[in-house]
Amino acid sequence: MNKIRKQYLPFVRAGVQTLIAYRMNFMGFIIGGLIYCFVMYYLWQAVFLSSGDGSFMGFSMTDMVVYIFLSNVTGQLTFSSASNDVGEEIRDGSISMRLIKPVNVDMSYLAAEIGAALMRFAVFAVPVMMGIEIYRYVVCETIMFDLVRFLLYLLSIVLAYLISFRVNLCFGFIAFYVKNLWGIGILKNSIINFLSGSLIPLAFMPEQLKIILEYMPFASMNYTPVMIYMGKYDIDEILFRLAIQAIWALITYALSKLIWFRAVKKLSVQGG
Amino acid sequence: MIYAENLRKEFTKIIKDPGLKGSFKALFKPRKEIVVAADNISFHVPKGEILGFIGPNGAGKSTVIKMLTGILTPTKGQCRINGKNPQNDRKKYVRDIGVVFGQRTQLWWDLPLVETYSVLKEIYEVSDENFKERMSFLNEVLDLKEFIRSPVRTLSLGQRMRADIAASMLHSPKVLFLDEPTIGLDVVVKDNIRRAIMKINQEEQTTVILTTHDISDIELLCDRIVMIDKGKNVYDGSLTELKKNYGQMRELTFECDNECSMSAETFKSGLHLSKDDIFIENDKNVFKIRFNSDVIPVGDMLNYTLSAARVKDIAVRDADIEEIIRRLYKEGAKPNE
Repeated sequence: MNKIRKQYLPFVRAGVQTLIAYRMNFMGFIIGGLIYCFVMYYLWQAVFLSSGDGSFMGFSMTDMVVYIFLSNVTGQLTFSSASNDVGEEIRDGSISMRLIKPVNVDMSYLAAEIGAALMRFAVFAVPVMMGIEIYRYVVCETIMFDLVRFLLYLLSIVLAYLISFRVNLCFGFIAFYVKNLWGIGILKNSIINFLSGSLIPLAFMPEQLKIILEYMPFASMNYTPVMIYMGKYDIDEILFRLAIQAIWALITYALSKLIWFRAVKKLSVQGG
Repeated sequence: MIYAENLRKEFTKIIKDPGLKGSFKALFKPRKEIVVAADNISFHVPKGEILGFIGPNGAGKSTVIKMLTGILTPTKGQCRINGKNPQNDRKKYVRDIGVVFGQRTQLWWDLPLVETYSVLKEIYEVSDENFKERMSFLNEVLDLKEFIRSPVRTLSLGQRMRADIAASMLHSPKVLFLDEPTIGLDVVVKDNIRRAIMKINQEEQTTVILTTHDISDIELLCDRIVMIDKGKNVYDGSLTELKKNYGQMRELTFECDNECSMSAETFKSGLHLSKDDIFIENDKNVFKIRFNSDVIPVGDMLNYTLSAARVKDIAVRDADIEEIIRRLYKEGAKPNE
């Protein structure tokens, strides 16, 4: 364990440093996310105002505000650029520089990303969550923050991130077969945004569809942690949802390993 | 130390007909063709040897190196290095090797150079003491001090290459694979890099496989060369032997008073030479003769030419490896029995 920590810690550190080297990029990412949140806020406000009684499918406008910001925070925390990174490295052959190092290729990506995720947590997630709590306090006039739920949310986020990372990794491996991932990358993002609940809460979907979607890996990537934080699940349901997340984390892990071992034999780095 | 046995690598290539129509056809009904990048390559390198791995562009050198370093899986055949199979236990295997691909970098692009080294130190589990010693050694031979704190993306090609070479040597590898380490560099940097290779080879008996197009690299560094062409092994032996086998080519340059043209035909018929043994280049009042001095001694060639033309000046150049390789390339794959 100690050896693993020592070997991959430099990747985490390098991930942070790379992020800092591209500060403007990072800031753009965060500010863009916030602007998106406010756009969503006004959009949903219009929906709620027209619904009359100020509540929609069990969500009050306050819930919706929390949902919009929290789902964005969750999206940022579980964000993985693995598909682009892996895809690009396979395409231009620079993945060979990872293969000549005595480390797991997937772990080296993961470690570098964790560095970036920790930065996002500190710089973006913590302030926004504080903002959310202040907002809730002002509106509800009681402290809504629950430490146990928050810790469960963090656990759920870790699982959500692992699923997101593995799904993106599998997707990046498509580059072994396809030359350019850009087009299907957009397709992938649209599907994930829609099915993970980060665009529209899954609670607003038709009942049957909602039940199916809640069991899919996409819900585990965003909807589940947000629901846990908001206190929409009781403790039994939380444990059940965490178990589903864990199962998906294992399945996607196994899948990515399987594809990798098959695909790496096919690797053809020509020229250079 | 390094055993390569009948390595073969095939790539599938999709053939696209020209034009838009061709693109559509390739999209729906791709026509595939198998390209053999390396075929039946076998050789053995003992510990402590520097092997020059040469061949024209596209001969399959890099493909072989990539199979030896575990990046590519051979279609057929296998290799064993340090008693390990690069494909089966990659992680254990790469611990003992250092690799430089001249066209790529293993350095952390956005970070100061020194960060890459501290990352590598952890990855390869180099102790603090060894690391310090190693860095001062590399500093000394490769002159890294002046740019070690600069981000890698700001380095010049020569600096980057020196840094890359240092990165590959940091963990005292048993085998070093250098794929065109001197490509695009000036004489001083080339010299630096050669010294580093030589030193590490002498002090630690590091086995080195080196591909290059630079003849002086080979002449200065390599004990032995393996030449491949069109994916096949065409020569395996020492440089002197190659020179002997492929004839001692000499080059004579004559300058005449006025414009004079000498044709290869006159020499061929006059001296009874075959067309592989003599080449002539004419440029106004200068002409160059390259010929095989095993077939016709230099004296005879001089006598003949002097009697045939009014010569003002003569220059004689020694046999050089470049010429031999040019001849070998020209003749194409001629497998050695």
